[in-house]
Amino acid sequence: MHISLKREIKRSHFGQAGLAILALVVIAAIFAPLLSGYEPTATSVNSLQAPSAAHWLGTNHVGQDIWSQLLYGARTSLAVGFGVGILSLILSIIFGVSAALIGGIYDQIIMRIVDALIVIPMIIIVILVAAYIRPDLPVIILLLSALSWQGGARVIRAQALSLKQSGHIAAARGMGAGQVYVALKHIVPDLGPILLVEFIYGVRRAVFIQAGLAFLGIGDPMQVSWGTMMRDAMSYSYLNVWQWWLIPAGVALSLTIIGLTFVSHAAESVLDPRLRGEAVA
Amino acid sequence: MSNKYRLITYAVAFVIILALNFVLPRMMPGDPLQAIYGDEALIAMTPELQAHLVERFALDKSLWQQFGAYIAALFSGDLGYSYYYNASVFSVILGSLPWTLLIVGTSLVLSTLLGIILGIESGWRRGSRTDRTLLTGLMGLNGFPDFFLGLLLLICFGIVLGVAPLSGAVTPYAGLGGFALFLDVLRHMALPVTALTLAHLAGSYLLTRNTMITVLRAPFMLTARAKGLPERSLKYHHAGRNSMLPVLTMTGIWLGRLVTGVLFVELVFAYPGVGQLTYQALLSRDYPVIQGVFLMVAVTVLLVNFIVDMLYPRLDPRVRHAY
Amino acid sequence: MLEIKNLRVSYGTDAVLTGVDLEIKAGETLAIIGESGAGKTTLGLSIMRLAEASVTGEICFKGKDLLRLSGDEMRALRWDAIAMVFQNVNNVLNPVHNCLEQVAEPLVAHRHAGKKYAREKAGELLARFGLPRQRFKAYPHQLSGGEQQRVLLAMSLVLDPDLLIMDEPLSSLDVTTREELGELLKQNGGSNARLVISHDLDTAARLAGRLAVLYGGRIVETGPTVAVLENPRHPYTRALVRAYPNMTTVKDLQGIKGRMTRPVSGCAFHPRCTQAITKCKTEIPPLVRHEGRAVACHRGGIITLLATENLARSFGAIKAVDGVSLAIAAGETLALVGQSGSGKTTLAKTIMGLHQPQAGAVYLEGKKVTDRKKAFYRRVQMIFQNPGESLSHRLSVLELVTEPLDIQRIGTKAERREKAIRTIGEVELSTEERFLDTYPHHLSGGELQRVAIARALALDPDLLIADEPTAFLDASVGAKILKLLLNLQENRGLSLLYITHDIAAARKVSDRIAVMLAGKIVESGPSARVVAAPQQDYTRRLLASAASLH
Repeated sequence: MHISLKREIKRSHFGQAGLAILALVVIAAIFAPLLSGYEPTATSVNSLQAPSAAHWLGTNHVGQDIWSQLLYGARTSLAVGFGVGILSLILSIIFGVSAALIGGIYDQIIMRIVDALIVIPMIIIVILVAAYIRPDLPVIILLLSALSWQGGARVIRAQALSLKQSGHIAAARGMGAGQVYVALKHIVPDLGPILLVEFIYGVRRAVFIQAGLAFLGIGDPMQVSWGTMMRDAMSYSYLNVWQWWLIPAGVALSLTIIGLTFVSHAAESVLDPRLRGEAVA
Repeated sequence: MSNKYRLITYAVAFVIILALNFVLPRMMPGDPLQAIYGDEALIAMTPELQAHLVERFALDKSLWQQFGAYIAALFSGDLGYSYYYNASVFSVILGSLPWTLLIVGTSLVLSTLLGIILGIESGWRRGSRTDRTLLTGLMGLNGFPDFFLGLLLLICFGIVLGVAPLSGAVTPYAGLGGFALFLDVLRHMALPVTALTLAHLAGSYLLTRNTMITVLRAPFMLTARAKGLPERSLKYHHAGRNSMLPVLTMTGIWLGRLVTGVLFVELVFAYPGVGQLTYQALLSRDYPVIQGVFLMVAVTVLLVNFIVDMLYPRLDPRVRHAY
Repeated sequence: MLEIKNLRVSYGTDAVLTGVDLEIKAGETLAIIGESGAGKTTLGLSIMRLAEASVTGEICFKGKDLLRLSGDEMRALRWDAIAMVFQNVNNVLNPVHNCLEQVAEPLVAHRHAGKKYAREKAGELLARFGLPRQRFKAYPHQLSGGEQQRVLLAMSLVLDPDLLIMDEPLSSLDVTTREELGELLKQNGGSNARLVISHDLDTAARLAGRLAVLYGGRIVETGPTVAVLENPRHPYTRALVRAYPNMTTVKDLQGIKGRMTRPVSGCAFHPRCTQAITKCKTEIPPLVRHEGRAVACHRGGIITLLATENLARSFGAIKAVDGVSLAIAAGETLALVGQSGSGKTTLAKTIMGLHQPQAGAVYLEGKKVTDRKKAFYRRVQMIFQNPGESLSHRLSVLELVTEPLDIQRIGTKAERREKAIRTIGEVELSTEERFLDTYPHHLSGGELQRVAIARALALDPDLLIADEPTAFLDASVGAKILKLLLNLQENRGLSLLYITHDIAAARKVSDRIAVMLAGKIVESGPSARVVAAPQQDYTRRLLASAASLH
């Protein structure tokens, strides 16, 4: 199933477009120092300059090079995105599979917590926490992960439940295998495609929320991020600087999210019947 | 989910909300009163008031007793007092709530309905150019965060074209009444609602389209075609009616997303709703307001989800008669 | 009312219907019988132009070619003039509308009836089909299979269509409901014409006056239902009837060899046919009409393989065979029943040429048999009562079975050996060296008889004459031999002339029975009829004294 899912994604138009966009973003993030001439945080006296040969996208209100900021911003988004994506997935697997395998009261408790947390919008919890703590990047990653695993856990638990009934699991049990062995060797590998899709959902959600939080001013103000760029640019929208300051940041953010959406759509089409009733995010 | 489990789930959610609201400030280092009321408040308080509040919130007693006091206060409708606004949190929130309800409500209805209609038409014509355009277009639109869309709209229509107001819910100091007021409100909410609707249109669209594709292959669609029914009836009365059901179950979740979105949109358009309120409270560290908003929003979302859960069986006969 | 000419329907490269010709008159009910995949449902859908396939040909409904109508014109006709009862599967009715609404819907859509009026009429119709009032507002998933079928039937008749197409209307029901609904359908007919599509012969017999058999995308036989089922003219129809468990036929069930495959050049049935000739492989046989019945077969239907005309043979004063006229069709079993001394064996031997007839003639496929050359024995073989005697003690099993091939000089030595071994395997004997070298006196009665059958089959005959093959065997061994003969008939398309004194066994293996007494045939006919309604006293006596476990 692994192979065919990846192949299908590569084959579909949406998948190809999405992967292409994401590749661009990754390249920008990795090669940021090579592609830009300036340190993104280096201020200068040339503030609010229009694009020129020296500054391809001009400078912001404290003289920082916008093009550099744009490229380095990709790093922040991807770091948070993938960080939360992976952590959240791991938590989903742990809770989802254990709930399915152990069952009973444990399952009930986990599921009630999951259902309860899914309904509450993530952002107001983050705002509440942010009011008291000044969250920097690692804290944000941890916090978002703690609030994102629920949707995936539900889907994974459902799948694990149906796998639990399957023959090869019964056979392993018959050989004396314990729960953990069964979980790691038999259930998780079979979940393959669903895990990939949940991961992509997680990354997408995280990129969006991190940018939104930065836009609200929550997060490390020293951290270069597209959300922060848009927040700063917004204050100056009455000046005609938005064309090269606000728009590129917004477009970069949107494109990244679109790329992730396309790839997840391609993956979803492959899994259609199974994911149909569990559409989350 | 049977009713019993549903109630337990919502109860658990409510407890989690209360716990979070209660625990966080008290986890902060330093004076709990400062944590609850914020720096500004402390400056404004007299020592007698401080002592009174300490007693009221049982701040010198054990954690459980504090929790008890907290719950007691809540149920008597006391959400705290904002020193920033010099009014009870409850009244402050109540002042902003109607505006937020206005744009969230309108957006929810618009985005759901429009999404359903587009989804039905798209699903009906699956694979055609219309369908592919709509699909690509809406997925692309979905990638734009609310705040960026809002900014784009604001710049385009507000700044460049100058046809829309740049802030507020009504034109200040205009003293309008009646129909003129109504129009004014509409003018001010047009862009925020548009931004919210467009950003969240894709959800209901995709779900409806996908469901439509499955439904169209069902045997009863062939039966309906054989009956010689007109296309409109097949699309909406037969296929559409079946495709709508999953969308309705998601309403609660989509409301959650809209709540996230309205926060940004109100900020962008300087719209005087709860989102704007929250943002200001965050900036000024007005903890009582933040906590009050958190509580209200969370409870509202829970309530709506609960209502939708109750409503669904009435609309899907298969579920209704399964009990 | 409806006339279909040369209808061809294909889904992409998959040609499902390859030239269907049909006719239904007003007020008539025609059943289309075919197995799964034959294209029956496609046929029904094509008439309503609901098949998502490429359709060519002509479908003339009341004079208009439906395939030339525009989308809107067709839509107006649907349900109003031509309605369909779909197969009763899950979700054939819309799950979010209640039944009354769904039955009333066509009235509102086509006749622009008011909602209240439509619901009333719908209610009347549902009541007539036996749905209780309190179930009217129920949703489809709340109904049982039988109730859902009632709704489907009522819904189809709500506009009183001129033509009603029913796809497996009774197949999902239990027997009592089947009867009830069959009756209701008959009563609530109106004057419409009906097309019943089914794989089930019982449904066809119950509902339809005329029958058409669909095989390989074409119609292979049509005619009045009773006539076709009792006397099928096409080998496929005969095989269908033989394969169908029912209370009328008495012969044991047999399948049809091979599977339905397409595309095949020529006649679609020829790989499985009992009487195929070279022409059948290359040319598609046309449907030829004759006296109210039609068959699509190059040979005009099931041919008569062997016939005798007034055959007579006496031994001195005893008229062993006294003017016997018999006919054995290709692929059929004719049982010749009579007590000892009735002349059965003499008749067999006369046919084989072991006795010369003194009068009358024997015809093989219509041609008179004048002398029994080798060619004759390639087509007709015989096995005798006592295998111990008919098999030489000098020869091993392999040699015995190879003998006819040697005599007829067929193939090389190696080929003959191979053919012999294969045939020995066919009669379910071991093909190991050790067994092949065994001599008859080491074999049991059952094994001996199987060797005899293998020997007879080595030449691939068309007709096997079996003279009391189980006379010298125990009942359990004999039963297996009879089953073997039936299987061989199924696999090879053999005709069997089964000679026995035992009418109980005869009915189990024969399509037709001929009763012989003192050299004459006193009664003959389809075994089911002879056993159920014997015309002659002697037959009745035979039946009465036959083995019974009462």
